[in-house]
Amino acid sequence: MTAFLPLVRAEWTKLRTVPRWAGALVAAVVVTVLLGVLSGTASTDRQVGGGPAGGPAAPSGPSTSPDTVDEFHLVHRALDGDGRITARVTSQTDSHGWAKAGLIVRASTDRGAPYAAVLVTPDHGVRMQWGYGHDESGGGGPAPRWLRLTREGDTITGEESADGEEWRRVGSVELDGLPHTAVAGMFVSSPSRVEVERQFGSESIDEVSTQGAATFDAVAFEDEDGAVGDADESGWEDHDASLLPEDGGSTWAGDAVTITGSGDIGRAAFADDAVFDSLQNVVVGLLVVVAVSVLFVTSEYRRGMIRTTFATSPRRGRVLAAKAVVVAAAAFAVGLAAAVGVVLIADPPGSRPDPSLTDATVLRAVVGTGLLSALVALLALGAGTLLRRSAGAITGVVLLLVLPQVVAGALPLSAAMWLQRVTPAAGFAVQATIRRYDTALGPVAGLAVLAAYAAVAMGLALVRVRRRDA
Amino acid sequence: MDTGTDATIEVRGLTKRYGRTVAVEDLSFAVAPGTVTGFVGPNGAGKSTTMRMILGLDAPDAGEALVGGRPYRELATPLRRVGALLDAEAVHHGRRARDHLLWMAHSNALPERRVDEVIELVGLAGAGRRRAGAFSLGMRQRLGIAAALLGDPAVLLLDEPANGLDPEGIRWIRGLLRSLAAEGRAVLVSSHLMGELEGTADHLVVIGRGRLVADAPVRELLAAASADRVALRTGERSRAMTVLANAGAVVAATDRDAVTVSGLPAERVVELLGAHGVPFSEVSAHRASLEEAYMELTRDDVEFGAGDTAARA
Repeated sequence: MTAFLPLVRAEWTKLRTVPRWAGALVAAVVVTVLLGVLSGTASTDRQVGGGPAGGPAAPSGPSTSPDTVDEFHLVHRALDGDGRITARVTSQTDSHGWAKAGLIVRASTDRGAPYAAVLVTPDHGVRMQWGYGHDESGGGGPAPRWLRLTREGDTITGEESADGEEWRRVGSVELDGLPHTAVAGMFVSSPSRVEVERQFGSESIDEVSTQGAATFDAVAFEDEDGAVGDADESGWEDHDASLLPEDGGSTWAGDAVTITGSGDIGRAAFADDAVFDSLQNVVVGLLVVVAVSVLFVTSEYRRGMIRTTFATSPRRGRVLAAKAVVVAAAAFAVGLAAAVGVVLIADPPGSRPDPSLTDATVLRAVVGTGLLSALVALLALGAGTLLRRSAGAITGVVLLLVLPQVVAGALPLSAAMWLQRVTPAAGFAVQATIRRYDTALGPVAGLAVLAAYAAVAMGLALVRVRRRDA
Repeated sequence: MDTGTDATIEVRGLTKRYGRTVAVEDLSFAVAPGTVTGFVGPNGAGKSTTMRMILGLDAPDAGEALVGGRPYRELATPLRRVGALLDAEAVHHGRRARDHLLWMAHSNALPERRVDEVIELVGLAGAGRRRAGAFSLGMRQRLGIAAALLGDPAVLLLDEPANGLDPEGIRWIRGLLRSLAAEGRAVLVSSHLMGELEGTADHLVVIGRGRLVADAPVRELLAAASADRVALRTGERSRAMTVLANAGAVVAATDRDAVTVSGLPAERVVELLGAHGVPFSEVSAHRASLEEAYMELTRDDVEFGAGDTAARA
């Protein structure tokens, strides 16, 4: 049997000895990075003209990432040392599926302070959330619901109950740097609705705020200074951090308190993904990868050189595999180099820090771009082998990759997201570093969709190459 | 090189159809070690299809082709056993000639030194660094022959290797083919021009319309084509033709003073002419050229002959 490594070496020799291909792949990296420089300059200019970024709520506190939001109305008191807060959410208005009403322990009321919360939502049951993005489902139904949050040292445990007697643990989390005197209380928030109007080339996104409201009773509080049962309004303070200040407020009626508020605590649905944006230029490099990958096989069919190849190595499946290894490796290198270059020179506007390659999500996006490029190359190689024609294969693959993104701009958000889930363009999801309102798929899932397309194309190509006369 | 039993090609009952068209039908022949076998037939007779099937590129509908006793597709490093030139144009024009040979060498784990040796051997020593696209047809033909010789194989299949070569190149390829056979290799050379093989081939396999027409040593084919014919040179052509025709011969005038006679041995022709007092300057057994022998054999098998052209016009 023909050994595999010599075949890989032969295919590598083929790829590197056509100067136009090697040149195009190098140029793909250079052009992508240059485009990154140009668009980076453009955003800097915009920044100079647009004045300082940032809203009236000046960021403060330990974690003020622009990718997160910290909006709510809170009725709170100091929590000295270990303690527990218990309450029943008797009712919650259905302002938004993810409206939140629950109990929270925070290091402080400052924006971005470490926190842990157990909360009830209209559509998603009871949740335990912390760290601006961590979310654990606790099952259960909507209000009315009993909730309990217990602090032991740095560990916060959330529990829920239907009747206040049988408690079920929802989650437990360790909050680093929680001061001895922390803040505990009842909070309400309600995320904005997204209204997106799309036309070719333009997109207007309206963020329509919603006001949440919920009533709590049977509030019990204890810490190392003492305990309060069926608390009334004495000893409680209001802190409003609602998206719209006029939405926030609280009203006591005996031992029941109704709290209103707007906004959300967690990831920002409208945050700019600077890394994702700068990696968009990589699509230019991908077009070159598609062309070279297709030509890598169709040029052999064009002049009948494929016969020399198959006479040289009659195991056709192995030849195709060797081609796949070579073209995928080259494409990975191109994608990775372009992504590293783009991220290194990226200069996001505003006070945001430059993205760092040591950041896990940035690294995932960069390495993911290499994998994206490799999978695109395999898809193109498969298409070229199936069609045996350069023009058709290149056009087809480019359309599969680019058209969903172009068309998506003219479609309603739900249809656009559907397109980005089922077409090869799903692979671009791996370039995202945050989840946004328009995130259709997670990074790994997106890459998996593209990988499935590449696998099908290569599989069909393999069958075809084995069955048909060369 | 590993000759002996490895240096053979056997084709048994090979059949290939494209839709309703039969390209090759029940074709059987063998190529022995140490011989140059000419594989001839008109254009479209199925020569290239047969060669592709021998090389495992096209799958036969019936029959089999063995190289050194094994199907080509089972060969581990085929370049070490079989060298082939199918189409000199089948190179990437952007690649240097030497690099084209280099990837082939890599695929069969042949040493890089072999690449330079074959470049030297085919007379492209100065052109290895030039792009194949800048080559003339003759140079590409030499590059294709270099590729065939890369693995020092015991079996060679060359499809129309003389295409595009200048007279010097044709002389060179003839010498090369003779010397390769003299080293014990089995060499199969296709051509649609019989003349190209004159003085080169030891054996001929002639096909027409995908079927075997002849499979014989060159000597026998020439003898068969010459058999029973006498060339006559005479000043009185018409008298001579009358006399011989009356004696039962088939007579054809080939020139103002030349006649070809079939059906009578040379002694009888001399006797008859003497008896009737017809003067003649020369009587000899006719010696057919390879071209004539071929025309004779393939007269009925030409796919697109002059008749077709005339009918279409």
